[in-house]
Amino acid sequence: MSTPLLCIREVAVRFGGIVALDGVSLDVASESIHAVIGPNGAGKSTLLNVVTGLYRPAAGAVSLAGEKIDGRSPHRIGRMGVARTFQNTELFGDMTALENVMVGLDRHHAYGILSGLTHAGSYSSAESAARMEAESLLELVGLSGQMEVKAATLPFGNQRRLEIARALATRPRLLLLDEPAAGLRAAEIEELNRILLKLRAELGLTILVIDHVMPLVMAISDRISVLNFGRKIADGEPEYVRKVPDVIKAYLGDRADHAFGA
Amino acid sequence: MRVVAIIVGLALFLIAPQVLPEFRLFQVCLIAATALVVLGQAVVTGFAGQISLAQSAFVGLGGYGAAILTSSWGLPLWIAIPVTAVVVGCVGFVLGQATLRVSGHYLALATMAFSAIVQLALIHWDSLTGGASGMPVPTLQIFGYNFSTGRDLYYIVLPITAVLFVMTANIMHSRFGRGLTALRQSETAAEAMGLDVLRYKAVAFAASGFLGAIGGGLLALLSTYLDPAQFSITQAVYFLAVAVVGGLLSVGGVIASSALFVLLPELLQSFQSYLGLVFALLLLGFVVVRPDGLASVVHIAGFAKGPRSRETP
Amino acid sequence: MFVQILVSSATAGAVYALIALGFVLIHKGTGVVHFGYGDQVTFGAYLALMAQVLIGLPFGWSIVVALVLSAFLGVFIYVCFMWPLRKAPMLSRIIASLALGTVMREFLRAYMGPNAWPFPFLLSASSISVGGILVVPANLAIVGVAFGVLGLLFLLFEKTVYGKAVIAACDNPTGASIVGIPVSFVFPAIWVIASVLATLAGILIAPVLTLSPDMGLIGIKGFAAAVLGGFNSLPGAVLGGVLLGILETLGGTYVSSALKDMISYGILLIVILARPQGIIGVLTLKKV
Repeated sequence: MSTPLLCIREVAVRFGGIVALDGVSLDVASESIHAVIGPNGAGKSTLLNVVTGLYRPAAGAVSLAGEKIDGRSPHRIGRMGVARTFQNTELFGDMTALENVMVGLDRHHAYGILSGLTHAGSYSSAESAARMEAESLLELVGLSGQMEVKAATLPFGNQRRLEIARALATRPRLLLLDEPAAGLRAAEIEELNRILLKLRAELGLTILVIDHVMPLVMAISDRISVLNFGRKIADGEPEYVRKVPDVIKAYLGDRADHAFGA
Repeated sequence: MRVVAIIVGLALFLIAPQVLPEFRLFQVCLIAATALVVLGQAVVTGFAGQISLAQSAFVGLGGYGAAILTSSWGLPLWIAIPVTAVVVGCVGFVLGQATLRVSGHYLALATMAFSAIVQLALIHWDSLTGGASGMPVPTLQIFGYNFSTGRDLYYIVLPITAVLFVMTANIMHSRFGRGLTALRQSETAAEAMGLDVLRYKAVAFAASGFLGAIGGGLLALLSTYLDPAQFSITQAVYFLAVAVVGGLLSVGGVIASSALFVLLPELLQSFQSYLGLVFALLLLGFVVVRPDGLASVVHIAGFAKGPRSRETP
Repeated sequence: MFVQILVSSATAGAVYALIALGFVLIHKGTGVVHFGYGDQVTFGAYLALMAQVLIGLPFGWSIVVALVLSAFLGVFIYVCFMWPLRKAPMLSRIIASLALGTVMREFLRAYMGPNAWPFPFLLSASSISVGGILVVPANLAIVGVAFGVLGLLFLLFEKTVYGKAVIAACDNPTGASIVGIPVSFVFPAIWVIASVLATLAGILIAPVLTLSPDMGLIGIKGFAAAVLGGFNSLPGAVLGGVLLGILETLGGTYVSSALKDMISYGILLIVILARPQGIIGVLTLKKV
């Protein structure tokens, strides 16, 4: 078992008097798909926001491949190889799908200010290289036909896909997905599963997914961590986690476990 | 298409001085210099989405800085103007750091305060600036040739304006412009993707400072006298107005709007005393009814591609 | 001497406080930051002047006419500008409020001329000696009204259900209307109150400051007072105004009277950058 890519140690986050996270620790193994689940308000999104630098933890530490993340700014963390999607899609609405993806690629097809001012030098070659890579990423998520469409006018399911393509554009080591399956129909969820598994297989990507939707979580996760009231209450392989009594109670009270079905 | 536009532009540029009288050429220069200042405003408020009422301060600093460098330190004016502009650009960069802490109406207030302080400094620092009565601007001299008439300055002002406009348009169509547009639409996502949002905003402020100062230097050349009363918050609102009427996101709109505002006094003829009121009404009207400004009006008339519309942040 | 300085500075402080109050009221009640408020204060004073000079009404009636007209002005502003822009980006609303102020100022300049007009005092303008300290009743009136208005508004917002309704309507219009709050009445009502307050402030301030179209530029000091006091707090607005008045007078006396204004703007800049929540306010951490 290789060293984990992402280490979260004893992270605590407080908003005024409310404790959102109370000493949560978890490891995400390299090239794995790791899910974090839990009822609403459990602290899942907060955890994600800590990893991406939106919140500074009151206590604890987060590291990526041994390098410290916590306390760094979001754009620094983005440059270290962490990419994310958002619960409420934060697409660049008025830009086309292609342009959305190109924003992520720009760092990797860079040219200087002088070239930008004059459109001479490496401008043309860098721009067309970026464009080509953007096109192939859109093809990866199945949006080839929508490249020149304004992001805000895309149907919801396609917007989700665009978010993923855009996140991939930054060539991350770790991809964080914030409720990617919310609002998707069954067929779309299956398609999403397929894409995520392909990303892990072909790109060697490490994926951390936050979600409620069991058909996604159960189908593709290598490991699941369960949060409730800001604490981790279970951690392990899917088959193990679904049987843990605390987990069942957290979701359903003391009722049956058929919610974990299929 | 682009080649045709360049040829037509060049032709117009060369023909105009043969055809137009002196005062018209002067007006063209005035429009060009104003357009540079307004371009700066459009970059920071339109492209970067940051409210800024600092433009009049940048214009004042640009004009006074160049004039003082030349009068007191003997630096030739054609060096003093760009040097001052670079310094003012740095001042803009520092001011832009404020966006780390505040945005929206707080930023408006901060830039207002900055403008007020700069104007007060220009008025009270008598020994340096000549105080409330202002100071004269030396004549532009290059290799012994005096540029004092509208006709002379035409050959200086217009090429400078054209070059700066082209460079700005180029940048907006590059990865930097893409980043700017991205952060305007979702700062959170842009940051998550590795864009240093603060630096982008600060650089936008720096650009507005640089462009404002170059415009200020050129305007000083044209007016030949600097009066600190010109560099007020009211003037800052004026530049904002011209930018808004131009559409905030359209480089062409900036030029059209600057022409409108510079020619307005003449169009108004005997209603001159209502000039300020007309400016203000234009601003109010456009911001409420036609937020995409003149550029969208042109679009409707079918002449040019419309601007990207702004979205709810 | 020190006490005399404090008393003299109370006038300036009260002026700032009055403007800040109306400013904060609009922000608290409708969420809009009205950058043209200083100019509206001037406009209000001019309304009274025009009623007196152009129509020939006695001063008392002019004031009444001005107050009534400004109520209509408040409705007009809301209906024609604030309501159409309610969904527009904040940038548009900021520019619109700046434009409104500029329109008012330029209208006055064009129609009534750019020069100062004499404006009658409501109360006596000569100083009286109270326990060895010189006090001017006209100035005292400004202070009194500032605190009086603060008291009324404070009671309204904190103690009555109407005040809570206003805050709810501003915070969450949909939720508020579901609960039965007449949201489409609340916002114009706030604008009416703030506009009448602006005119009242103008009438009190104009004799002290001399009335000219540019009198409204004092508004930025009012904004500074509001920021000092925490921007969303009514008592904070008054506190900020008083504090600004004191700091300005102290700066003017002990540092330099020419740079008095610079000190105020410098304070504003520093407060905005170092502590935007002001002295009383609380900066809320936005949960993503």
